[in-house]
Amino acid sequence: MYKYIFRRIAMMIPVMIGVTFLVFFIINLTPGDAASMILGDGATEESIRALREEMGLNDPVIVQYGRYMTNLLKGDLGTSYSTGKTVVGEIGQRFPNTFKLTISAIIISIIISIPIGIISATKQYSIFDSVGMIFALVGVSMPSFWTGLILIIAFSLNFRWFPSGGMDGLKSLVLPAFTLAIASTASITRTTRSSMLEVVRQDYINTAKAKGVSKNIVIRKHALKNALIPAITVIGLEFGILLGGAVLTETVFSWPGIGRLMVESIQRKDTPMVLGCIIVFALSFSIVNLIIDILYAYIDPRIRANYR
Amino acid sequence: MNDYLLDIENLQVQYVTDDGTVSAVNGIDIKLQKGKTLGLVGETGAGKTTTAMSILRLVPHPPGKIIGGTIRLDDTDIFNISEKEMERMRGNIVSMIFQDPMTALNPVITVGDQIAEAIMIHQKLNQEKANKKAEEMLELVGIPGNRRNDYPHQFSGGMKQRVIIAIALSCSPKLLIADEPTTALDVTIQAQVLELMKELKTKYEMSMILITHDLGVVAEVCDDVAIMYAGRIVEKGSLQDIFLTTKHPYTEGLFNSIPNIDNRKAELKPIKGLMSDPYNLPTGCSFADRCDYVMPICREKSPQKIFFSENHYTECHLYATDIDFKLGRHQE
Repeated sequence: MYKYIFRRIAMMIPVMIGVTFLVFFIINLTPGDAASMILGDGATEESIRALREEMGLNDPVIVQYGRYMTNLLKGDLGTSYSTGKTVVGEIGQRFPNTFKLTISAIIISIIISIPIGIISATKQYSIFDSVGMIFALVGVSMPSFWTGLILIIAFSLNFRWFPSGGMDGLKSLVLPAFTLAIASTASITRTTRSSMLEVVRQDYINTAKAKGVSKNIVIRKHALKNALIPAITVIGLEFGILLGGAVLTETVFSWPGIGRLMVESIQRKDTPMVLGCIIVFALSFSIVNLIIDILYAYIDPRIRANYR
Repeated sequence: MNDYLLDIENLQVQYVTDDGTVSAVNGIDIKLQKGKTLGLVGETGAGKTTTAMSILRLVPHPPGKIIGGTIRLDDTDIFNISEKEMERMRGNIVSMIFQDPMTALNPVITVGDQIAEAIMIHQKLNQEKANKKAEEMLELVGIPGNRRNDYPHQFSGGMKQRVIIAIALSCSPKLLIADEPTTALDVTIQAQVLELMKELKTKYEMSMILITHDLGVVAEVCDDVAIMYAGRIVEKGSLQDIFLTTKHPYTEGLFNSIPNIDNRKAELKPIKGLMSDPYNLPTGCSFADRCDYVMPICREKSPQKIFFSENHYTECHLYATDIDFKLGRHQE
């Protein structure tokens, strides 16, 4: 098992190289010149040329990439073109905010979706099932920026329970976390329900019932563990997407997270910052995937046997 | 108080689906004495498994629905007790071995825990004692006790079926229902598993219902045989009655479909046609369309039970007029 985890971590290295390589070249293909952007409209030809030379922008792209990767290995992601701060410092400041938001959202989703999914499946075609599935459909269909705005109108403008934006204590976390949670709750609920429905039709569920195991324990002990694998897959995917894709929600709620940082950086053609953000996304996605695979092994001994 | 462990009267089970209603079991009677083995024989879809599931009150609902009849098990009318009381009977008074050992064990729970679970529920033992007992059960079915912590995927098909037998027998039930316990296994393993079941049945003085479509297995294990067709028992009798003085044309058809080991050149004589559409059973005898002896009355009226001895009866019009009628296989 440890060997497997180690191998998986080692496999992340080529993934990171691939991601940085692709992104580095794509950004270089986009029009616009970093040096003139840094110096602003009033800069002279002369000074722009000097800065390009100084930044090494005249070197071939592959050389620039090599330089970037060498620095990356030293833990240096460069400095932002627009603010002059180090990329590592800026991301280090922003990423915890996104992480806090995402983890709250995913915990809320899990707490709501797994029980609803289970009950919907065990009482298939009941009122509860229909209502649950309608909510899930609505949840999936609502775009998060719209949900966010509705929540702001309802809970901060009308009721004045929570602030409408910013990051200021636990209270300000509630609305953005719920906004993010709604969409992922919906998809996790649907997955849990459908995999539960499949599992309760399996023969081993009958075996358990025939042993005299009570209905609740059959569901909790025999069915749930088997039904969790697809649910965990979706939870992991949602988590990964949220880590990088909370852009809209972060913008609506002026949440100082990494999603917003990246969008701003793209607009400013702040190459080092964009690259830094993407590396962090790719890295967190890989780590989440690894955690999911480890969870699979924990739940299912057949998968564990393959990990040797 | 009677001396029957299981007494099923006029059991009727339907599956109600969007496409129509399937009458899976249409009024069957089964009486089973303590310590006896009944073979329930019939082709796929005859209602054998539904009958078995009814005894455990585990017919999936929806779509399944028990619409009539009574089942008395160990002097309890199981349709008149609460779910909690029924749970106390399952695994304890009656347990079941399912058809496919590959899917009947929970893949994420160790076999030891799966055996110990029933023991903990019914015998109120703690985990440690239940584990000990689970180990003994494994040894009993011929698996080393130290494999208790292994998962089902680490066992072969035959071993899985042994584990399932161990689960079913862990609380020494009075009635064991085995639903085609050997169908999914290859022939040598089949023989081993059957031998094991026979041995344990005697050891624990259990009654058994053996569901199968293999008459060879029946001859090996059963005291009584009931032949099911389209949700009814068309013939029932002792092993000798069924094998030596076959009465129902369907039973005869089953025997004719078995290869003859003494005359390997003899052509098999399959039963012609398919089983009647369960959504739409014909009036009269369900077997009429496939029967070599069909008479006009067969398509009009359902046949009544005709008794040849206290234990041997058939539902066939042939004997209503001539009780001494002889089927082809007895007419040499």
